[in-house]
Parts: sequence; structure tokens; C-alpha cells
Amino acid sequence: MNNRNHAGRMPDLQERNRMRRILIVEDEFVNRELLKAYLEDKYELLIAETGAEALEAVRKHFDTLSLVMLDLILPDMHGLDILREIKQDPDLSRIPVIVLTGDTESEVESLNIGASDFISKPYPRVEVILARIRRSIELSENRDLIRGTELDQLTGLYNREYFYRYAEQYDLYHREEDTDALVVDINHFRLINERYGKAYADVVLQQLGAGLLAAVKENGGIVCRREADTFQVYCPHREDYESFAEEVTAAASEGLKGRIRTRIGVYSRVDKSIDMERRFDLAKSAADTIRNSFSVSVAVYDNALHEKEVYAERLLDDFQEALTQKQFTVFFQPKYDIRPEAPVLSGAEALVRWKHPELGMISPGVFIPLFENNGLIRDLDNYVWREAAAQIRRWKDTLGHAVPVSVNVSRIDMLDPELTETLRNLVKENRLEYGDLHLEITESAYTQDAEHIIQIVSGLRELGFKIEMDDFGSGYSSLNMISTLPIDALKLDMLFIRTAFSEKGNIRMLEISLEISRCLSVPMIAEGVETEEQMLTLKRMGCDIVQGYYFSKPVPAEEFERFLIQN
Amino acid sequence: MLSVETLRDWGADVDEALVRCLNNESFYLMLVQKAVKDPNFDRLPEAIAAGDPGKAFEAAHALKGVMANLALTPIFKPVQEITELLRSRTDTDYAPLLSEISAQRDSLTQLF
Repeated sequence: MNNRNHAGRMPDLQERNRMRRILIVEDEFVNRELLKAYLEDKYELLIAETGAEALEAVRKHFDTLSLVMLDLILPDMHGLDILREIKQDPDLSRIPVIVLTGDTESEVESLNIGASDFISKPYPRVEVILARIRRSIELSENRDLIRGTELDQLTGLYNREYFYRYAEQYDLYHREEDTDALVVDINHFRLINERYGKAYADVVLQQLGAGLLAAVKENGGIVCRREADTFQVYCPHREDYESFAEEVTAAASEGLKGRIRTRIGVYSRVDKSIDMERRFDLAKSAADTIRNSFSVSVAVYDNALHEKEVYAERLLDDFQEALTQKQFTVFFQPKYDIRPEAPVLSGAEALVRWKHPELGMISPGVFIPLFENNGLIRDLDNYVWREAAAQIRRWKDTLGHAVPVSVNVSRIDMLDPELTETLRNLVKENRLEYGDLHLEITESAYTQDAEHIIQIVSGLRELGFKIEMDDFGSGYSSLNMISTLPIDALKLDMLFIRTAFSEKGNIRMLEISLEISRCLSVPMIAEGVETEEQMLTLKRMGCDIVQGYYFSKPVPAEEFERFLIQN
Repeated sequence: MLSVETLRDWGADVDEALVRCLNNESFYLMLVQKAVKDPNFDRLPEAIAAGDPGKAFEAAHALKGVMANLALTPIFKPVQEITELLRSRTDTDYAPLLSEISAQRDSLTQLF
């Protein structure tokens, strides 16, 4: 299976030193005898008089043939069809073919199909024929030598560096065609390596390489091993890669202990104006999006994804400057206690807004998940806490009173050993009560590292901070666990409100959640409440506190004063 | 008895052909005797009679190559002519060219 790729097997030194072998395919006795007379003392000759004989001989001797001399008109088939067969078969394609013809038309066509040269009839001087034969053989042998260094030793595929060159060449000949760039990774290859050993893992790589090669054979395209367990394919565009993935995985898994799984990133209809390597980086980024997916094996890169990435990178780059320039503003959204006849302002949630000097207002839905993924959220949370604490102090100073403000504490903040100290200092520096700050901790934070989180939260709660469990209902915590958690309020996942008031009107989850809050004897806070109907329904069902556009959107501190004064 | 001289008199470009045959006269004469029996001489009129210009072209084309290699000019000329007519599928009466080829072939055979 090695070296099946493009070069076939290279003749070894001993073979090279023997007489080179030429196959003459010619049905006309006279022409055949002339060629034999020219060549027989310099080359070992094989003779075929029909197309069938020719193909049989080429296949039998493919690894030792130095050249085929091919007449175009044969009794059973056309020479061009034989040439096509040879050039399309990876085992045979390295063998140079000189076409014997009297037609200029056929000359052009045969060169297009892959003939190295042609010799016309009547034959030119024997020296000319010998020189052409020598040159064709020499060129192909040099090419074999070069290819020896272009190939990945294990799989026989192109290596990465040469692949890019061939891909560029491919573009030259397929200017008008839509082309796809693919990156193919083996899922958990490291584990295969560790579990079954390197020799086994090498077989997996070889079989995947061969499978990919077979998969592009029909429509054309080139394949390389990019590195380790990553392969690249550059091929004519196709709409559906699911069957491609299926075919490749089946081929790669043949005879193995288990079915290997691959993930394929596709950059479809590549933009040929962008750098070749970049095209495969884009395909790779698509493949990486399904790194942890068990059900999806093909991911197509699209521009939206691209723009999102570029945008995300920009936001990450601009973050520190935004902090120092105070581009982040803390907004406050009121929470109303709906238990009394007339709703009463009971608190606020501090929410961050980013007013970017060039990009304008950026939604927290965009930048918060981004910062959560790389730890920047800690700096941002700290910033919001400081701003919120200072604002509570200002309200107390100017208005004589304030309401508790809840701030988000991310799971990553919990890993900060200074967390408790930081929060305690904030309270002290701003001369606040601990109860002035409510800490919103998502339910999923508890489930991911329960013991550690519970310990920290308990400590904070003992100090006097109020703890609200955020996004309740989204974290799959068990009822048993919830009953032991140190919390002062449940904050219902906004999705429950949306589901309950959607067309389907499934309020069952809402009822269960409210039941839980009653059992735990903690108030239930519903956020995302937009209409009077929603508010009244929640009130009737026993919800305690409501936050949402029905009362007010998040507003700047100055505007929030209005609610405090009314209160 | 066929010889280089009789071939030259008949109209073959013997000098050119001998170069192609590595200046080996007996090799050349052997090839000429074989060439006269080339089955395409029969296939060509058969294919034309059967209304198969594709097959006729192939036969003519193959003959042309052989005649050219051996520089048998009196046969090569009408064969070349008929090859081009067949290549373009010209609708014409092929009989005169066929009989010309046949006559030249016979005259060559007379030399043996």
C-alpha cells in the first residue's frame, strides 16, 4: 500500500543498472520490426499487438517498465483509451508514454492526456527516435527521484510542503472550476496510539491515506498528510461530504479493531485569491468546531463563521484597552417584588455594556461567552463589581438609600483564591453592608466543581453576601443536591419563561421550578418578563420577584435613580 | 526477383527507406514483401463497400504509416489521398482511388 500514491514504486539501483524495459504497442508488422531493429540492442523489449495485450503487459510489469511506445490505431481499441487507462491509474501513471502517430490532431490530444512525446510516421532518423526515448525516460526518472523527497514516508502521500505547490499547480489547470479544501482529522488518535501501539496507529494512518486517495480518484484531486493524524484534500467541489466521510471512514477502518472516526472540515468553493495555506487553515478551523462532537463528522466553513472569528479576535485584542478607557459601562435592570398589591422595587441586576469606539454597542451575548472561554471574564467581572459597589455608595450618599444590586460571579472567578478577599474589600472600601451585594452564580458552576464551589459560596454567605442561583433549570443539578446548596434565591432560566409563554404554552417546568423554590423556602426570581400577561401569570403561580422589559430594560445609573426615587 | 534497384525503378524512395532500415538492404526488402500483404489492403475496400468510413479511415491511416515508413511512394500517394478524404468523411466516389491503390500494389507484387 505504501507508495501507491503518485509515483508508483521506484525501480531500485540494481534494476536501474539492468537494461531498461520498453513496451512497444504496435499491430503493424513493418513498423514494429523497424522499432525493434532500432531498440533491441539498447533496451529490453516487450511487444504487444493489441490493446488488451498492451494493458495486460503494462499492469504486469508496471514497476519495471521504463517506457511505453504506443501506436494509436489498434485492432481492438483506440490507443488514446489505453493512454487514458495508464494515466488515470496511480500505479501506472508514472510510466512515460510516447505516442506513435501520423496525425497532428492526435498528437495534441495525446499530449493533453499525458503522453510524454510523440513520434510521427514516417519515422524520423533513428538518432532522433533514440534521443526522444532517452529524454522521456530521463525526465520520468528525475521526476521519480524528486517525488521520493516529496512523499510522506509512511503513507506515500505528498508531504505538506509539496502539497501546497501541487495545489497551486492544480489551480492553474482548473481556473474556472469550484474547488474545495478539506482537512481530515482522526478523532482521539492519541488514544489509539496509546492503546494499541505505534505500529497499529501507523496502519490506521496508512489506511486513511489510501481511503482518501481512493475517494478522490473518480473526480480528481490531491491528498497529503499535513502532520500526525491530519490529512488535507484539494478537490473539485461537491455539495455533500457525508457520503465521502462514510466511504473514507469505512476504508480506513477495514480490518481494524474498531471503527475509526474522523472529522472533516470543509472550506467549500475556496476563494482562489487567498493564500493556499490559509485556505486549509480555514478548513481546519471548521474541523476544530466539531472536535468534541460525537454525532457530527463534517463541518463546513462558512463566511459567517469566518467573520465571527475575525470579530472575536478583534474583541479579544481590544479588551485591555477597553478596560482602561472605561468603554465598559454598568447598566442596572430593576427587580420588582410582585407579591404585594402594587409591585415594589426590590433590587437591581448590574449588567455590563460595551460601547466600542469603532464597533458601537456590542451585545454582552457576544463578548461574555468569548471572555468566559479564555479567562478575561475575571477582569471584566472585577470591573463590574467595583463599578456596582461604587454606584451603590453614590446612591446612598446622594439619595440616602439604595437597593441591593446583584452581580455575576463566573465559574472562573471561583478559581481565584483571592475572590472572597476581593469582595470583602469592596464592601469595606465602599462602606457597604454585605447584603447590598447579591452574587449571581450559575447553576452549571455548582454542578461542574460542586465541592469546591459550595465551600467558597458557603464562606461568602456566612460573611453576609446573598447568593442567587442564576439560570436555574439549565444546569441539570439533582434535587437532592439543590437542597444542600447554600443559596438565598433561585433565578429562573430565561428559557423557561420563553417556553411557558410560547405558543405551546408548556408551563409545567415553570410549575415544578416554583415548587422547588417553595420547598427550599427561597424566593423565585423570574427574568426576561416582557408583558403584563406574563407578569400576572407568574404572580398567580406564586413567583416572588420579576425582572424584565415589562418593568424596564437595563438603564444607566443616572436613569436608574428614577426608580429609587419613586420607591 | 525483388531488389533495391527494381524498387527504385518502380518509384520507391529507396535512399530514404534504407536510412530508416539502418542501411540493411535485405531487411528493407523483407519488410516490403510483408507490407504488400498487409491485411489493411483488403480491409479498406471492404469497409468502404460496407459504408463504414470510420473503419475505412483506420485501415487507410494504418497503411499510410507503413507505406511512408518504407517510402513506397506510388502506393503511399493514393493511400494518403484517400486517408484525408476519409478523415473528413468526404462524400465522393472512392472507386478510382481504390483501383489506383490496387493497381500499384499489383505492380509492386509483379516485382517479386
